Amino acid sequence: MGTLTSYPPSLIAAAAALVMPLLAFGVIIVGTRSRHGLSAVLSISASGFSTVMAISLLVKHWHMTAPLTYQTTWMASGIMAIPIGIQLDPLSLLMFTVVAVICLLVQLYSLGYMAGDPGFGRYYGFMSLFAWAMLTLTLSSSLLQLYIFWELVGLASYLLIGFWFEKFSASEAGKKAFVMTRTGDVAFLLGIVLLWLQLGTLDIPLLNHPEMVSRQLSPGMITLTALLIFGGIAGKSAQFPLLTWLPDAMEGPTPVSALLHSATMVAAGVYLFARLFGFFSLSPTAMGVCLAIGTISMLIASTMAMVARDIKQVWAYSTISQLGFMLMGLGAGSLFAGVFHLTTHAGFKALLFLCAGVFIHHHGTNDMFEIGRQGGRKRKTAVAGLLVGAGALSGLPPLAGFFSKELILGHLLDSGHWLAFLAAVVGAFLTTYYSFRLIFIILFPKGEQIPVSNPHHSEPHPARGERAMAFVLWGLIGVTLVLGFFQNPLQAFVTRFVSGADHATHHLWLAVAACILATAAIVQAWFEFGHKKARQIGWVERIPFLTDLFGQRWYLDRLYRYLLDTVIYRGVSKLFTANDRHVIDGAVDGLGRSTIDLGRLVSRLHTTMIQYRLMVMFAVVILLIHYIGWGF
Amino acid sequence: MIVPLNHILLLSAVLFSLGMFCTLARRNLIMMLLGVEIMLNAAAVAFIGASLHWQQMEGQAVVIFILAIAATEVSIGLAAIIAIYKRSGSVDPDLQTTLRKVEGNPS
Repeated sequence: MGTLTSYPPSLIAAAAALVMPLLAFGVIIVGTRSRHGLSAVLSISASGFSTVMAISLLVKHWHMTAPLTYQTTWMASGIMAIPIGIQLDPLSLLMFTVVAVICLLVQLYSLGYMAGDPGFGRYYGFMSLFAWAMLTLTLSSSLLQLYIFWELVGLASYLLIGFWFEKFSASEAGKKAFVMTRTGDVAFLLGIVLLWLQLGTLDIPLLNHPEMVSRQLSPGMITLTALLIFGGIAGKSAQFPLLTWLPDAMEGPTPVSALLHSATMVAAGVYLFARLFGFFSLSPTAMGVCLAIGTISMLIASTMAMVARDIKQVWAYSTISQLGFMLMGLGAGSLFAGVFHLTTHAGFKALLFLCAGVFIHHHGTNDMFEIGRQGGRKRKTAVAGLLVGAGALSGLPPLAGFFSKELILGHLLDSGHWLAFLAAVVGAFLTTYYSFRLIFIILFPKGEQIPVSNPHHSEPHPARGERAMAFVLWGLIGVTLVLGFFQNPLQAFVTRFVSGADHATHHLWLAVAACILATAAIVQAWFEFGHKKARQIGWVERIPFLTDLFGQRWYLDRLYRYLLDTVIYRGVSKLFTANDRHVIDGAVDGLGRSTIDLGRLVSRLHTTMIQYRLMVMFAVVILLIHYIGWGF
Repeated sequence: MIVPLNHILLLSAVLFSLGMFCTLARRNLIMMLLGVEIMLNAAAVAFIGASLHWQQMEGQAVVIFILAIAATEVSIGLAAIIAIYKRSGSVDPDLQTTLRKVEGNPS
């Protein structure tokens, strides 16, 4: 342990950026929860500090020559030592910056959105908790540390989904999210234990070292471990078959959905995959599974989005589908394609959610048809953000999504996964279709106009909060507009230390084809929803079977309910109840009964005159001692 | 050790006899319990003295054990005495014949 000055400044900066949100969380929860303004100031200044540190670290290490790792022992027990540390490499720095920036923007936005909420202080406390956990997750140097913060992020998610816990559906949604992600995390934990038993180390740089891992693990074991860890990824990133928690998680406040359930927390799964990319690449089976799961999730989720009426649900399905798309890119063997899409997606999906938040805030409803009829198009900033965000989501040039989507499509094509490529094309078409379905429904409402029915609307909004919301929207629009043009420098940065760095061949025809496809989808959406005589009924809704299937989320929830009822409640739980009633209760009751019986038996020996008998006992003992001591 | 072992053993023996007398002679359950406590402490004193004399830590460990046992004994004993007092209205050990009477077999 040296003095503080012996540590490099980057470490101190990173550690400070991690600790500030934790401090803010502690202070807010313990002391200032009831003082709303102060709590918000604390939380936002902590996040602001982290953002400044993150950006300066990114700039400082832009030309880094080697990854920097600082580790110290957290606790040691026998031969086992658990290290904690900070790892600064291009991937973690990029993710760190993305998380810090979105955190800050969303917290600023919440000033307006959450104004007047009785839980305002608590909200900012939880936001700080999330910021701390998520930032530390990105910089973790060992898998165990990552897992700890992975769970803390899940906790923050649970707390924020159930933020309006007095609403029954919100607390149920929080529970559902917690349990479903935890299901995946059990697999993840098993994977970590397996790795620990086999390798004796959980350091992320070591795990990505191909020779070191393949020397100590058989290929089958690598595949098994990789699949177990992938279980955690599927849970956190809401991939098939653990995807139904994310739409329900929209019960939380909209900024929370923007931050946790689209831009950063659910992307943690994808980030973990990218983090262990070297390890996953060792197992072709795991990569194949990743590609398959990504493809399935992407298609299923986009079909669900086509029939949703709730504006936030549409973006939730779209998030699942885009996360699947990232996993497809990673599964096809391109680290950068997945990470780049993650980065751009974080920007434009946060933008879409925050725009949705503006509509919900003003119109007091989540239903897009009602928002349209109440005159949603009069919110100029939100409409602009919606158009830019949806354009990016659909992959229209020159928005950020265009570059990253085209990169993934190109990689799918180059790596020869024809089936996945075709699925991705279909998915891209559906994505554009449902995004513009939503836009046209809001912009060109049919039927009579109805007045704004928001109960909160009558009270005067604090103008400062409104300005903060607009400011954040414009900031994200700017990011979405320019981020795509940083593709090449980012690619050079991220893939610097990756062996066999992927260089995508640029397909011009692919970009043109993707644009034509997107345009076709927009035209279809226009004729079904935007056109003057359009009846605003999509082609899916004309087929009752499909409407049902998509609207019921492919009956996944029903299936889980059924499994839960038959396997858990009627099988396992019944067994345990019987065990509890007969074995445990029986043993305890038997103990009591036998004590009583024994007491009855012993009471027969009682003849009163206790002190005389005690005296006799003493006398006998004294005589015995005499006899042993002196022998008479 | 300044005090000789014999003196300590003597003190222990005196304490023990006092406790024994208290237990045997008093017509009060609480005082009997006190007598038992005193005897326990007499044993503890003997242990401490022996521990000091032979410079072994085990004696002191046993004393701590005795303290713990004495504490539990007092708590259970007092609880039992309170229960007895509520039932019979007296704490005289010779009047406690409930167990015989329950069995329908008076002494």
